[in-house]
Amino acid sequence: MSGQSGSVALTLHLALLSILSFGGIPSVLPDIRNYVVAANGWLTDRQFANVFAIAQTLPGPNMILMMSLIGWKVGGLPTAISSALAIFGPPCTIYYFAYRPWDRFRHAPWQRVARRGLAPVTIGLILGGGTVMARAADTNWQSATVTMIAAAVILWVRVNPLWILIAAGAAGALELV
Amino acid sequence: MVRAAEESRVQRASLLVLFLGFLKVALCSVGGGSGIVFARRLAVEQRRWIGDPEFADILSLCQFLPGPNVVGIAVCVGARLRGPAGALASLAGFTVIPVAISLFLGTWILRYPDLAILQGILGGVSAAAAGLLIGTGLRLLIPHRDQPMALCFALLAFVGLVFTKLPLLAILLAVAPVSVTVAAISGTRKR
Repeated sequence: MSGQSGSVALTLHLALLSILSFGGIPSVLPDIRNYVVAANGWLTDRQFANVFAIAQTLPGPNMILMMSLIGWKVGGLPTAISSALAIFGPPCTIYYFAYRPWDRFRHAPWQRVARRGLAPVTIGLILGGGTVMARAADTNWQSATVTMIAAAVILWVRVNPLWILIAAGAAGALELV
Repeated sequence: MVRAAEESRVQRASLLVLFLGFLKVALCSVGGGSGIVFARRLAVEQRRWIGDPEFADILSLCQFLPGPNVVGIAVCVGARLRGPAGALASLAGFTVIPVAISLFLGTWILRYPDLAILQGILGGVSAAAAGLLIGTGLRLLIPHRDQPMALCFALLAFVGLVFTKLPLLAILLAVAPVSVTVAAISGTRKR
């Protein structure tokens, strides 16, 4: 336990990092690790890795969940809540106020050009994000097959993706993956 | 006509529908990125609140801004349909209940990190979640398939993310300005 000052410090630190996390929270994960593991010793390296893996595999906004799990470790439920709010509160304010002018000028010629230029980059990053996730998740040929089947099904079949996740989870429970 | 259609679409998006819609999106999405899959399914395919181009547009905006990007989709779609109240309803739906449930489950799992069946389920689900994200990316790429320059920039961003250790912001700042410039030049040529 690191007391109340630790909880406040963690919350403020996360709030600051949240508005610096251009391109998504994973871009500031190394900094968060330094802060909670190396600088303050609130979590061990193993615990940090576990928290990350759990956040990757449980439903919900995973980075918010990861921060609230870290908060839980540092100061129980109140810190879990304040850490979650710190990581999404400031960015959501920015999203909202940036979206309004972006939407108002959606028919302006400059924005049409910007959109046409940005869309392929965005798509490339989604494909890259999926590939990075796959590299971490696919530890053998069975799990690589699961990844490929999931990609093919979502691409060609109109099915609720949830069924794909449930089937894959069941295969994992039966130790087929 | 178009206006009337748009109004009826907005009417259908009550705050409760937004809250429940994004609650479902969050409960279905595993591994962060796959939230994009379910958010697109909700907003584009099922409710038809927005089209694919608008969805890609919101995604680009959120990727450039700091913060958890998928949450940004909820905020922007909510804001587009119902203004500030819509943004709050979508955000609350996306975060409150799912984080509470997963926090409860997560603290429980942290107590038993070596349980084999749990590891098996988590492994299978995360492999499939990665595939869902790749499939959705390919689907968004389909409208661009006859534009070689667009495919080229998608490939550059992909390679930057997968094969270099560069932070996401550095990749964006390197690729996006060139891509936008090319889009501007090719646009004037067409006219």
